[in-house]
Amino acid sequence: MLNSFFKSVFAWLKSAGGITVTIAVILMVVCTWDRGPYILVNTVVTGGMLGLVAMGLAIILGVLNIAQFAHGEYFMIGGLTAYYVIRPLHGYLDAHPNAFLAMVAPFIAMILAALVGGLAGAVTERVCFNPLRKRSRANWVMNSFLLTVGISVILVNGHQLLFGADFKGITHYWPGVVSIANVFMSIDRVMAFILALVIVIGFWVFMKYSRTGQAIRAVAQDEMGALMVGIGLDWIMVLTMAIGCAMAAVAGASLLFMYPSYPTVGLEPLYMAWFVVILVGLGNVMGALIGGFMVSLLKVLTLEYFGAGWEFVVPSVIIILVLIFKPSGIFGSEVRGVLDQ
Amino acid sequence: MKTGVSKHEMGFLSRVLDWLCLTPLGALLLIFLAVLPFIPPFSDQYLLRWLTIIALSAASAIAFDLTAGFINIVNFGFAAILGLGAYTSAILAVRAGLSPWAGIFVGALASGILGFLTGLLTLRLRGIFAAVMAWFIGLALMGLCIKMVWLTRGPLGLRVPRMIDTSSNEPYYYMMLIMLLVVYVICRWVTRSKMGLAFKAIGQNMEAARTSGVNPTYYRIVNFTISCTIAGWLGGFYAHYLGILTPDLMHTSKTVEVLAVAYIGGRGSLWGGAFLAFPFLIAMELIRSGASNLPGLHLVIYGIILIVVMIYLPGGIASLYYRFLYKPWGRFWRFMIGYRENK
Repeated sequence: MLNSFFKSVFAWLKSAGGITVTIAVILMVVCTWDRGPYILVNTVVTGGMLGLVAMGLAIILGVLNIAQFAHGEYFMIGGLTAYYVIRPLHGYLDAHPNAFLAMVAPFIAMILAALVGGLAGAVTERVCFNPLRKRSRANWVMNSFLLTVGISVILVNGHQLLFGADFKGITHYWPGVVSIANVFMSIDRVMAFILALVIVIGFWVFMKYSRTGQAIRAVAQDEMGALMVGIGLDWIMVLTMAIGCAMAAVAGASLLFMYPSYPTVGLEPLYMAWFVVILVGLGNVMGALIGGFMVSLLKVLTLEYFGAGWEFVVPSVIIILVLIFKPSGIFGSEVRGVLDQ
Repeated sequence: MKTGVSKHEMGFLSRVLDWLCLTPLGALLLIFLAVLPFIPPFSDQYLLRWLTIIALSAASAIAFDLTAGFINIVNFGFAAILGLGAYTSAILAVRAGLSPWAGIFVGALASGILGFLTGLLTLRLRGIFAAVMAWFIGLALMGLCIKMVWLTRGPLGLRVPRMIDTSSNEPYYYMMLIMLLVVYVICRWVTRSKMGLAFKAIGQNMEAARTSGVNPTYYRIVNFTISCTIAGWLGGFYAHYLGILTPDLMHTSKTVEVLAVAYIGGRGSLWGGAFLAFPFLIAMELIRSGASNLPGLHLVIYGIILIVVMIYLPGGIASLYYRFLYKPWGRFWRFMIGYRENK
């Protein structure tokens, strides 16, 4: 029993994923020892939310086979919604201090952001992808990718048109800092990490145990088979798109204090989420979470050792290497056959 | 356009047009573009400047379509490769004093080499993977360009000597028109040869093409190299025309602009994007300047048109042409559109 467990652990350690994760962990420990514990803390805190964005991207890829170029724009929608919810709430709180409301207000903003983001995703699916799917499935991956390029252009400039191009940000959700391992960080960051964990666990339970979640996984595995056993494809597509976009929107909302909402704010999360998704393999949802931490570590280390501005160059080079030597990603994925076209 | 008519039966004019791969209608449109600077609203220097930039976009759309429309790989780093040509030529002119006239060809060579390498790197990849790969190569290039301030002056902008020391835009406009024609003719020659057939075969079904004895490796690399060389050449012109370069030129949004023009024009047609660029971009500019209190409106419309075309009209404007205008309506029209019964 124990023996076979160790055997499987060793087998995993020898796989590409195991090697990469081990190297990342060693790298993190060494760098933390070298430069101080804030590297570890920064990696973990931003990694959670990055993992969330990347998971949304991965599930849309896995189920709908859409390579989202507009994913950052749903991140932007989330931040925007949260901003317009939290501003009046903060204004009200300044006039009428209320400890309970002060604690809950950010959650209201984030939940509303998730709802708006999910709704935006569902509308996109009904208005853009459904007609395209009905018309032609030929060359679907490429065509839907180009469609998302158009959606991205519309959302970015729609934001500019309706809300202006200025930075719409807040300084904090919850005032105050906490100290972990001699690193002071704001409660917002800690909450962002906890929230990401809660959502990921909730999502995992939903996918694993609920009938709808099982239906989504069935569609990801085999669309035709799912259709034959009576799963309504249209509904699953809308739901998946909504979930994926809501994840990005929640990330955008809870990171509003770091990324103030402006038209092109989504570009950086988009690049990073794509790094993650390519690194772990397209469509691998749970791998995206681990990948989120690894890419986040890479970004933190690049900033630490190379300085600002290199955070696009170094990960780009690494992703190019991954694409050359292991195009299916370090954890591999089963959907590559579809995406190959 | 291969025709059943042998070369000897054709008149001189037809032979020239066939050599240029133009129909009489296309030639007329080109002549119209050439006389446009003498027609009042466009004789304004500001508008002429716009027309030059639009002609540049049209030529870029042709080069982009050579990859996207034929071998079915979207080169998402197109703008970065164009920018590489621009920066190579500009840096040679600024730091080494090389004449821009030679510089733009060196820039084209640099872009061509990068295109060759990109083609080589994306060999194992298909569809979306290749697009993402090209995108990340573009991102890395833009990041380098921003960071290498000692060479490119980064976001501060590099001042570049212009090709001709004149304040008027006419010489540049005509130079750009000639470049547009040259780009078109090169791409047409490539695609109407056996090689074009091989490109199409690879784009439609790689396995089938390989089974029929088409070597995808060779043709994909050749395609990337040609497309990127042209991009670099156009980039060199851009640098020496505008006189200032910023890394913004390499941004993904610039690729999206070229992509939109090429796809709305019609993928795989080459002329579609070039034709569409003029009315479309002029209309967009009119909306932009007309609704200046609504910034971003023109780009929203841009995006909506791209989406509608992608869903409901996958062939773009070119497919409309073939559906409605490419008909033998009388002798004159048949001559104008170069219609041939045995085609």
